[in-house]
Amino acid sequence: MYLQLNSINKVFDDTDKESLSDISLEVKEGEFICIVGPSGCGKSTLLNLVAGLISPTSGEITLEGNIVKEPGADRVMMFQEAALYPWLTVRENVMFGLSAKGCSREEQKEIAKKYLKMVQLWHYRNYPIHQISGGMKQRTALARALAMDSKLLLMDEPFSALDKQTINVLREELEAIWEETRKTILYVTHSVEEAIYFADRVVVMSENPGRIREIIPITLERPRRVENESFMALRQQILQSVKAGVKKSMEEEFDGPEGGNEEDED
Amino acid sequence: MGRKEEMKRMKTKKIAGSIAFVVGLIIIWQLIYVIGADWLKVVKPYAVPNPLGVWNSFIGLIANGTMLTAVGHSMLRALIGFIIAIILGVILGILILHFPYLCTNLKPMILGIQTLPSICWVPFAILWFGLGESAIIFVVVMGSAFSIALAVESGVKSVPPIYIKAAKTMGVGAVGMYKKVIFPAALPSFISGLKQGWSFAWRALMSGEVMSATVGLGYTLILGRDLADINQVMTVMLVIIALGIIIDKGFFSVIENRILRKRGLLQ
Repeated sequence: MYLQLNSINKVFDDTDKESLSDISLEVKEGEFICIVGPSGCGKSTLLNLVAGLISPTSGEITLEGNIVKEPGADRVMMFQEAALYPWLTVRENVMFGLSAKGCSREEQKEIAKKYLKMVQLWHYRNYPIHQISGGMKQRTALARALAMDSKLLLMDEPFSALDKQTINVLREELEAIWEETRKTILYVTHSVEEAIYFADRVVVMSENPGRIREIIPITLERPRRVENESFMALRQQILQSVKAGVKKSMEEEFDGPEGGNEEDED
Repeated sequence: MGRKEEMKRMKTKKIAGSIAFVVGLIIIWQLIYVIGADWLKVVKPYAVPNPLGVWNSFIGLIANGTMLTAVGHSMLRALIGFIIAIILGVILGILILHFPYLCTNLKPMILGIQTLPSICWVPFAILWFGLGESAIIFVVVMGSAFSIALAVESGVKSVPPIYIKAAKTMGVGAVGMYKKVIFPAALPSFISGLKQGWSFAWRALMSGEVMSATVGLGYTLILGRDLADINQVMTVMLVIIALGIIIDKGFFSVIENRILRKRGLLQ
């Protein structure tokens, strides 16, 4: 299996709270996996674990058989904020990781050109970051991530800070780019619609502690249309599943193991 | 176009106002001196400077070359001391950043030492280095290195963690992280830290020169006191202020603004 998560547990030292419990997942090369779930279910934590930014309390993650121990250029991550460097231009940002990879200046420029054209920002290559819009920033971040040509692309709600129209445009762009590049993508989102739009399989998580509730394969033909009836049916089904995961934890909060102890306020 | 002209006129008006203010201040100063010293005889002329006297003193110091030599020597000392302070400050700052033990124990001490007026280092300086250049440079270094160290520390700590996270997932190592992410990201606060460090260095320099120099602005000031020439004291004070402003506004602020504007943090 390309990417493998073997019964991952994650307990954060500072809160002692079990954030993720017994997460196992296998991902094939070229697969687009979307992870949905209520906020606080640990879906971003899961992504950070795969990125190697944090390490699991128990269990292990392997990519092509190699255990993930630290961050590396084979697992580039995109964040909710574009995380671009304001002292560099659009093109310099795309070239940023390539110089760390050891590409020559000429190679960097060539690769940056290819991906800036792919995200339709070639015209803006010499712009400073503060002069482009939020959507353009995320497109730059996408070009930067693609330019690294990593084995795995990790995306943590990359479009969630944008307006609806921009999101729609970017979704289509990302879908087309994925069709073209066939990257293996792990995509975290709180939008069920977005998950169905992109995913080969949707991983639904529940919270407290974060577990995989179910994994739903999406076989709809691409490009998918939100108005499509089977799309809407799937959307209902997954929304129900996500809600069920939330409800369980809500109940726990009100008459859970400790019972509502009001003296514990602080 | 009309708006641009309007703004230009406003600016001219503002500058004219500032000039009028300074000129007015000088006239009032001269008037008070004339009334107090010449007419009422309540002001002792050797204790209170007057604009005309200051001007004559300034011209005199320029003409006999004293002023230029003094400025040259003082600037050179400040520069040498400042550069040593930057090197020490950066090393100290990075040490504090990398060792939590030093951050909890050494940092409060540095904060304490930083509140110490630099003139307090003069006795040590004279005992260790004698009456000479090194003693003054020592005082300058002690006066500014610690504030630079604190600026380095706070500058690096203010780098958004997401910049570092993003670079990590692109495979940037520890050295590359400093070179390509942390240093450029911390640059604006580093420059403003240097600006503050410079103002400490400049003050420390005067403390040092007043106590132990044989040439320089601080020495010229004390010489004025010894000769009972209050106008010379005032002249040197004004030159010290002017140099401070020129370096702050003409050098550090220019660099600072250029960096901030490039990043869209300043209109």
